[in-house]
Amino acid sequence: MYNRIIRNDMVKSKAVTLTTMIFIAAAAMLVSLAAILAVNLSSALDTMMTKAKTPHFMQMHAGELDTERLQTFAKENSNVEEFQVVEFLNLEGSEITLGENTLAASVQDNGFSTQNKQFDYLLDLDGNIINAADGELYVPISYKQDNLAEVGDRAVIAGKEFIVAGFLRDSQMNSTLSASKRFLVSEGDYKELRSLGYIEYLIEFRLKDPSKIGAFETAYSTKGLNANGPTVTYSLFKMMNGISDGMMIGVILLVSGLVVAISFMCIRFTLLAKMEEDYREIGVMKAIGLRVSDIKKIYIAKYAVIATVGSILGFILSLFLKEKMLENIRLYMGQSDQSANAILLGIIGIILIFFSILIFVNNVLRGFRKISASEAIRFGTSQDRNRKAKRLTLSRNKLWNTNIFLGMKDVLSRKRLYITMLLVLVIASFIIMVPQNLYNTISSKSFIQYMGIGNYDLRIQTTGIDVKDVPKMVDALKLDSDVSSYAVLTTKSFQVKMDDGSEENLKVELGDHSIFPIAYTEGRAPEADNEIALSKINADELGKQVGDILTLVKDGEERSFTMIGIYSDITNGGKTAKAVFTDDDEATVIWTIIPVSLSDHSHVEQVVNEYTDAFPFAKVSDIEEFVTQTLGSIISAVEMGSYASIAIALVITILITSLFMNMLLAKDKYQVAVMKAFGFTNTDIQLQYITRSVFVSIIGIVIGTLLANTIGEKLAGLVISSFGASTFSFTVDPLDSYLFSPLMMIGATLFATVFTTWRTGKINISENIKE
Amino acid sequence: MKKIIIGENIVKSFRKLNEEHNVLNGVSVEINKGEFVSLMGPSGSGKSTLMFALSGMDVVNSGRVIINGKDLATASENELSDIRRKTMGFVFQQPTMLKNLNILDNIILPSVRDNQKNKTEIVKKAKSIMKRVGITGLEDRDITEVSGGQLQRAGICRALMNNPEIIFGDEPTGSLNSQSSQEMMDLFSEINNNCTAVMLVTHDAKVAARTERILFMRDGEIISECRLPKFEAKDMDDRVEEVMVKMREIGI
Ligand SMILES: Nc1ncnc2c1ncn2[C@@H]1O[C@H](COP(=O)(O)OP(=O)(O)O)[C@@H](O)[C@H]1O
Ligand SMILES: [Mg+2]
Repeated sequence: MYNRIIRNDMVKSKAVTLTTMIFIAAAAMLVSLAAILAVNLSSALDTMMTKAKTPHFMQMHAGELDTERLQTFAKENSNVEEFQVVEFLNLEGSEITLGENTLAASVQDNGFSTQNKQFDYLLDLDGNIINAADGELYVPISYKQDNLAEVGDRAVIAGKEFIVAGFLRDSQMNSTLSASKRFLVSEGDYKELRSLGYIEYLIEFRLKDPSKIGAFETAYSTKGLNANGPTVTYSLFKMMNGISDGMMIGVILLVSGLVVAISFMCIRFTLLAKMEEDYREIGVMKAIGLRVSDIKKIYIAKYAVIATVGSILGFILSLFLKEKMLENIRLYMGQSDQSANAILLGIIGIILIFFSILIFVNNVLRGFRKISASEAIRFGTSQDRNRKAKRLTLSRNKLWNTNIFLGMKDVLSRKRLYITMLLVLVIASFIIMVPQNLYNTISSKSFIQYMGIGNYDLRIQTTGIDVKDVPKMVDALKLDSDVSSYAVLTTKSFQVKMDDGSEENLKVELGDHSIFPIAYTEGRAPEADNEIALSKINADELGKQVGDILTLVKDGEERSFTMIGIYSDITNGGKTAKAVFTDDDEATVIWTIIPVSLSDHSHVEQVVNEYTDAFPFAKVSDIEEFVTQTLGSIISAVEMGSYASIAIALVITILITSLFMNMLLAKDKYQVAVMKAFGFTNTDIQLQYITRSVFVSIIGIVIGTLLANTIGEKLAGLVISSFGASTFSFTVDPLDSYLFSPLMMIGATLFATVFTTWRTGKINISENIKE
Repeated sequence: MKKIIIGENIVKSFRKLNEEHNVLNGVSVEINKGEFVSLMGPSGSGKSTLMFALSGMDVVNSGRVIINGKDLATASENELSDIRRKTMGFVFQQPTMLKNLNILDNIILPSVRDNQKNKTEIVKKAKSIMKRVGITGLEDRDITEVSGGQLQRAGICRALMNNPEIIFGDEPTGSLNSQSSQEMMDLFSEINNNCTAVMLVTHDAKVAARTERILFMRDGEIISECRLPKFEAKDMDDRVEEVMVKMREIGI
């Protein structure tokens, strides 16, 4: 009798068995992929950073270099293993032509270097330290990715000709998130170029004990050494290198979690439907003294088979797919030496999924115990009808069409069954909504406020050295009729006195912050001289809250400020502060930013060109261009992701809906036959099924939307906060989120239901009722 | 006399083990308005099949079925549904009820499909029919909360809701004891007195004896037929005897 049940089950539910297997395979594949990618990413990253000997501490500096003091510091600090100062020769993008392409539109700081002697090596694509010969140019790998150059291309740098000899991996500046890019040339060529650009210094240290980086940073800043530029540590380099692939792994993990949930739902639905269907037989088996555990064993065995096949399939798929997915990691970071361990971890992940499936099946099967033998034999149905649904009667229904009413009532009285389908649809609409909202948010113009950028059209940036030329620019802006408003924001370096008496560097942006306001997570912008606002990351690191007092030190003089607000900032490593007091010391200026808004936005390009020509030392960029180039790769990745999600979610919806409707139809054959016997047409019955699925999908969409706007927003916020933005809320496009997406979901459900239930016509009355 | 249903040369076969088996071998039968007919025969002789064919629930392989002048072969699915809903009522051996609905809803189900508006009237009518068949008060019960006999009566109520011209009963008393069975037959007689044709399949001579025309089937053919006068309670024993004799005669 067992075998008969199982055989019937397998034959009757071929589609369900197959679908469940496919979902398990997909889940196994994704988990295994995520594990393989994660291990390879971290290993490749380590390999690269070890080979390149990435600095543990790097201070960028623009301006005079006090080499002697730095050397003394390096000698005296017991933690310093190696120390070097590297030159970074800034050249305008327009001076760089690679093949047919110029980098004029690039917002990156493009610079030239020679190969380093001791550490911070620039590596070729085989992971070897490059030795550039005269006339050879090595190009940052990200430009290969952007198809801006190819090996063998002719390159012209400030009038001098080079041949692109290869691409380089730069363990510091690989990531598009890093604002600078290093090109590599030979010592001889560098000497010729040196006078054509302006030089920034990378002051680099390797430490004996990298874990004491905090103490080292403090030591460096208290000594008042050269620090006119951003500071980056080893862990930040690692984070920037890993973040885009890390995010991809995160997304894969998230999706695999959802797919596991969907396979669980498939299993649950199948088992519950089976239980309803075999209710009488299971009751009979119980009545004649067979043990429930025996029946359970059969089902567990069946799912063990399905899960095994699914897992193996998924594993094989992941091995095929991993090559493609590893491409990016290989390109940017090179080979990993942990491939075997990666595969092992993938297998462990799959085994975990396998066992969780068996445990889940076992849990669902507990319901078997509740089947009462007498009830089952007498009525062949379970008695636990829903009380509330019972009150919904046809006789009292005045509102709905009879078929629609019957469809809704069926859903309400078999909640246990439909909840399964509901959950899948909730997941599906969640999968659609979150990436879509995330994409809408980060591509919307107001998103830049999370970057610590106000709403303006273009931004002019100069380094500290050119500070004396700023007034000239301001005069020009004043006279320009295209300009509707501008602000001069000067970033200077101060020391903050910590509670324990030590001092740390703090870059403070001074100027009128009310002209281009940004979003404050807490508090407001500084208005009075004794007020200061901190970026989220700085506030966290300094342990300051709104209302706290902050003491700044300048030339030995202490000044107290009230901390007045916290804002999101993802520019300049996210470590900034804002204040309005005046400070005339030009020497401490690190950079000046002049945000400009135009009376006619369409003139942006023209104005950018004008100012670039008039003030060649300044970097003038269209803010949209700035955002696209900084976030562009992420925005387009999210956009791709959101389209992929929509496709995946719709496929899931169609698959699951037709699967569930198919099973319901098979189960409800008798009921359908009865209704047909009493004069209900096929269309009537189809309408009932459509009502069921659309009803469930509407509830699913509502719940999914709510979840997307709460949990989904939190999740997305986590991603965004890794860039330094704090509170985050979705910019929802109501048309997309509340009209098109729900319509697409309902359309998919409708399509699947209509497609599945045209079969009602095939349900033969006599076969199903005749005694 | 007006003919409600005409069956001509009905052949119906089923595939079994890759072989066509004829279950109905060219059966011809006519049912007139207001007739009270029963159909007897051994198990497997094709009684249910004939009834399903005559009601248009099964498609015949050859021959014709004409209901109220409409040849079913030319009727669309929807027209067939309309005929089933408006012209006939069905009572099966097992109570064919939707387990999702309570007794009252099951009874009014075929009527509310068309008549969304007059729900109050439909409910009123259902209640009066329920009273007539003696199941008042069970309206809100689940189908699992009433006895088999009560469920069968509810089935009759449902069949009567649309004022059908004919009611089919496929062994409607088959699962009832003889007491309930007789009560059920009283009900069918009463329905028949109101000019509704009734056609019952039965094994039970006592049931057949209540009807006025008895068709005997064997191996997919109607082999004999007998007519009885209008039923009077005092003739019951004689009628049963007559049916029994006839049954023995043709060996069923
Ligand atoms: N849907 C069907 N498929 C195959 N065989 C059937 C089907 N319905 C009835 N039969 C066969 O047709 C014969 C007559 O069945 P039926 O009309 O139910 O007999 P009765 O009602 O007289 O007992 C039986 O042998 C039965 O097995
Ligand atoms: Mg029969």
